[in-house]
Amino acid sequence: MGDVIEVENLHHTYLAGTPFEAVSLSGVDMHVDEGEVVAIIGPTGSGKSTLIQHLNGLITPQKGVVRVFGKDVSADGLDLKWLRSQVGMVFQSPEQQLFEQYVGDDVAFGPRKLGLDRHQVRRRVREAMEAVGLDFEGFKDRLTFSLSGGEMRKAAIAGVLALQPRILIFDEPTSGLDPETTREFLARIKELQTSRGLSVLLVSHDMESVAALADRVYVLVEGQTVLEGRTREVFSQCDLLRTYGLDSPQISQVMHRLRGRGRDVRADVLSVVEAEQELCLSIDFTGSV
Amino acid sequence: MSQFSPFGSLTIGQYLPSGSLVHRLDPRAKIVIFAVLVALVAFADSYLVSLLLLFLLLVVARLSRTPLRFALQGLRPAFPWIALFATLQLLFYRGQYAADACQQLWSFGVLTVTTCGIRQIGLMALRLLEFMLLTSMLTLTTSTTELTHGLESLLAPLKRLRFPAHELALVFAIALRFAPTLAGELERLTKAQASRGADLGEQGRMRFVQRTRNLLPLLVPLFLCALRRAEDLALAMEARGYTGGRGRTSLIELKAAPVDYLAVTLVLLFCLSILASDFRVTEGLIVAAVGDAIKSIFDLVVH
Repeated sequence: MGDVIEVENLHHTYLAGTPFEAVSLSGVDMHVDEGEVVAIIGPTGSGKSTLIQHLNGLITPQKGVVRVFGKDVSADGLDLKWLRSQVGMVFQSPEQQLFEQYVGDDVAFGPRKLGLDRHQVRRRVREAMEAVGLDFEGFKDRLTFSLSGGEMRKAAIAGVLALQPRILIFDEPTSGLDPETTREFLARIKELQTSRGLSVLLVSHDMESVAALADRVYVLVEGQTVLEGRTREVFSQCDLLRTYGLDSPQISQVMHRLRGRGRDVRADVLSVVEAEQELCLSIDFTGSV
Repeated sequence: MSQFSPFGSLTIGQYLPSGSLVHRLDPRAKIVIFAVLVALVAFADSYLVSLLLLFLLLVVARLSRTPLRFALQGLRPAFPWIALFATLQLLFYRGQYAADACQQLWSFGVLTVTTCGIRQIGLMALRLLEFMLLTSMLTLTTSTTELTHGLESLLAPLKRLRFPAHELALVFAIALRFAPTLAGELERLTKAQASRGADLGEQGRMRFVQRTRNLLPLLVPLFLCALRRAEDLALAMEARGYTGGRGRTSLIELKAAPVDYLAVTLVLLFCLSILASDFRVTEGLIVAAVGDAIKSIFDLVVH
């Protein structure tokens, strides 16, 4: 399987040449394999949002190369509409971007802009709404602004899914959601990724979400990738992450500390279930904990 | 600059601290000087006055230790309009006063090029440049807080006439404070909708209705956001005990120093002396000479 996204030595400076100049990215390298879930973590202002905006042509590289499906995004004559329909971008708090009166119309915005006929649009809207867990018949004629916050976010994500992208990018998908809805969202993203073979790129401050979803993690600090690896490897380096102002999931930290106190347990666990198994094993072998 | 941040290059209203003499002037002094000079720029209809004003502004810009390039950046988006007005001025202006003694250089139907037209173009360009410099100088050297305090303090005497000076200053402050916020919000929305396949910012020969429809995906969420922010702001202000201007004191007490009085006095003297002297006469002689020169060159080229 090849890389669907390749980023090489990417640089970006905001307001270059003015007194308000701010370096955002200084030499980022990253790639996303087909069908992979990759997370980018990093403290506020580390350039995460700037980086992902390069991936669907919202920002063109000032220096460095960005390739999506092998195509250079800064090449002349690249079809931006094509790029943006292939790379679905879900911004932070997407529920604030809804504008149509009826939910169905809002989801249909993208497909209509693609110039599809009525039946195709309808089919895509149905598929997209059902993929996020909104019943098509029940919700398509509801007033957009009468939905609850969670439902509005689902509708907004459906609006992106209706473009049928092959890559999905989420900026803080679970921020401001209650634990129950967060779990549901993560499960749906996983489901989408496996059933449609999508590649997913996730930007998040919620380490639990990252641990639950991502295959690989990039740590971005001050516009540079300082750490990269399998999720398990990255999160087992609790102390290093601390120095960047980041954290591992809490359960990883617990196991890390236990190990630090001389317990013979693996430190690279990512979920409570794993930790439970590990601790049970540890009890069985030593007879006491 | 990215196509999605139309306001990214806008510098009007941007405060650029450098701690210079101009920055340290009392905001009230700066507002008064600004108002007086704006009036003078608007009424100045002679090259000598305009050039004097320009010189004065360049001195101020130098004193303020802000890059001149930055103060003039706002001119760039205005260039097409300046060019358009200059062309109209050149082709249609025939002089307002009989005393102007315009000389016709070229004529075709209703189109006439006169020496007065050329003179007016130069004046207009200078005037625009000076307006731009004036506004930039005020906002580059004065923070919005200072501006608001200054404005409120200047309007305070009107409170006796039940003029809502405090409320006006507050509205002004909120508007200034939220302009960049809303611009940022607009940029975010433009990007989000572009990601969903909207063709915003792309040039196309669309009909007016279609183009207006294309704005809906931006305007609806933008208004919702503005209303939400207004509500939050009102709540936050009430939570912090805001009850209006009556009896309210300020953390920053404006105190005019001798240098402030000196600055205002100097500018007023400058203006009065300009109003008192009739530059048009002196200039009339110079212009007549220059006009003759231009005409003879023109004749030489045409024939």
